[in-house]
Amino acid sequence: MTTKPNIKSWRDLNIGGVIESGTSEHFKTGGWRSKVPIWQEKNCIQCMNCWAFCPDDAIKVKDGKRAEYDYEFCKGCGICAEECPKTTQAINAIKKEDPNIEIDSWDGAENPKFREKAAILMVSIKEAKEKFGIK
Amino acid sequence: MQKTIVARTGNEAVAEAMRQINPDVCAAYPITPATEIMQIFSTFVADGLVKTNLITAESEHSAMSACVGSAASGARTMTATAAQGLALMHEILYIASGLRLPIVMADVNRALSGPINIHCDHSDTMAERDSGWIQIFSENSQEAYDNLIQAVRIAEHKDVLLPAMVTTDGFIISHGMERLEMYPDEEIQKFIGEYKPAYNLLNVENPITVGSLVLTDYYMEHKRAQHEAMKNSVKVIKDIGKEFGKIFGKEYDMIEKYKIDDADYILICLGSTAGTTKVAVEELRQEGMKVGLVKIRVFRPFPAEDIVNAIKNAKSVAILDRSESLSTQAGPVATEVKAALYDAAINIPIKPYIYGLGGREIYVEQIKNVFKSIKDLKKTEPVSYLGVKE
Ligand code: SF4
Ligand code: SF4
Repeated sequence: MTTKPNIKSWRDLNIGGVIESGTSEHFKTGGWRSKVPIWQEKNCIQCMNCWAFCPDDAIKVKDGKRAEYDYEFCKGCGICAEECPKTTQAINAIKKEDPNIEIDSWDGAENPKFREKAAILMVSIKEAKEKFGIK
Repeated sequence: MQKTIVARTGNEAVAEAMRQINPDVCAAYPITPATEIMQIFSTFVADGLVKTNLITAESEHSAMSACVGSAASGARTMTATAAQGLALMHEILYIASGLRLPIVMADVNRALSGPINIHCDHSDTMAERDSGWIQIFSENSQEAYDNLIQAVRIAEHKDVLLPAMVTTDGFIISHGMERLEMYPDEEIQKFIGEYKPAYNLLNVENPITVGSLVLTDYYMEHKRAQHEAMKNSVKVIKDIGKEFGKIFGKEYDMIEKYKIDDADYILICLGSTAGTTKVAVEELRQEGMKVGLVKIRVFRPFPAEDIVNAIKNAKSVAILDRSESLSTQAGPVATEVKAALYDAAINIPIKPYIYGLGGREIYVEQIKNVFKSIKDLKKTEPVSYLGVKE
């Protein structure tokens, strides 16, 4: 089945290219990401710094609390990790092309091995073992 | 209508027009020779004579950016600048026209550096001739005042919706005191009417996206639409010029024709030099030489047809350019007039001149010599410099 493309003439365009709002929802830009932020929920103190500073809308809020990342839109700038109070160790942003764990796409953030790596990089291996139960 | 006759410099006349237009927002940054416009206007703001929100930006780039934001929010928006200031706005000028925002700007023509110079030539305005702005040149303070008022109507017209700049020649007009006929505030307000923006970024009932990315799929279509708006503006400029004449007593068109009906030799120029040329025309006619002037009032859109019709019966034509495009062909005015003649398949001998750069004076005697130089012109000549030290 072929669908006829919706081609508009220059006469039919909105003046100045003005369009309806919220169109960025259609463009999943998470693929641009070079770093992947990883959130450790149990260390999070719910200060909402990350949510306030994220230049996109990639940090979700559920029932008034910080929830998981929306990796479809997170551009991996690492600002959330910078703004997260350092004493909490709740966010780490690591390079997504880590050859050891073969992560190369946004959904790689769901990979448990990747999350483990992020946790280890955030603190010393000893602390990672204690804090996050890494073997 | 009760007209008030006053003595005003070009900058004062422009500031008075802005007071009477009473825009919602002005964002500007000072630069010689345009500084006075906003300085005078700021006293109107301080005295409560206008309701304008005056934004004193930190650069011209910021000033024009603020104008874009303001106009996109549905506010009637104006600014003023010159030379380097206009050049610093360059990037945002294209955004203003691309977003189809009817911002009105007073530009005081001044030479672009370098070498650094503060005096008049048209290089600043000509450098922006492809930026999608309507460009209206003024011969004197009165025209600057009249043009600015009309520019608001032209820019905001629903078939146009393009930004417009009205220019005055730096120092020659901007700082020269002249007789100015001012019209009553309420007549100006009635003439420009209420501004009905095409869209409004601040309308929370109807949220919109302004300035979104348009790549290979539709960028070209947007330019085509701008092209059409520019074409439409010709009729609008003419209609509004006529309407202005009916109400205020002086009609305006794309070009002004001065004693060309029986003229063998015609000179084309724009800005304050047109005034000097009129004197030269009078003097030469007394000496028996049939000469005339075509003054280009609107350079963008380019009035190709009007110019061709005005000069087609002349024996030869001289064209004065007050800017150098350094193409080594000729200045922008001569180049475009020649293209217009080619399109009309008319081959009149042309002598293009470059003159008046960086404020170099131009005298009646020199213009008379220009007319004399085309008396026996048999074919089009390469560009030459007028008034340069050889
Ligand atoms: S990395 Fe940047 S884009 Fe991604 S969630 Fe953190 S702040 Fe937002
Ligand atoms: S900044 Fe850190 S501690 Fe604060 S809400 Fe975000 S993840 Fe939790």
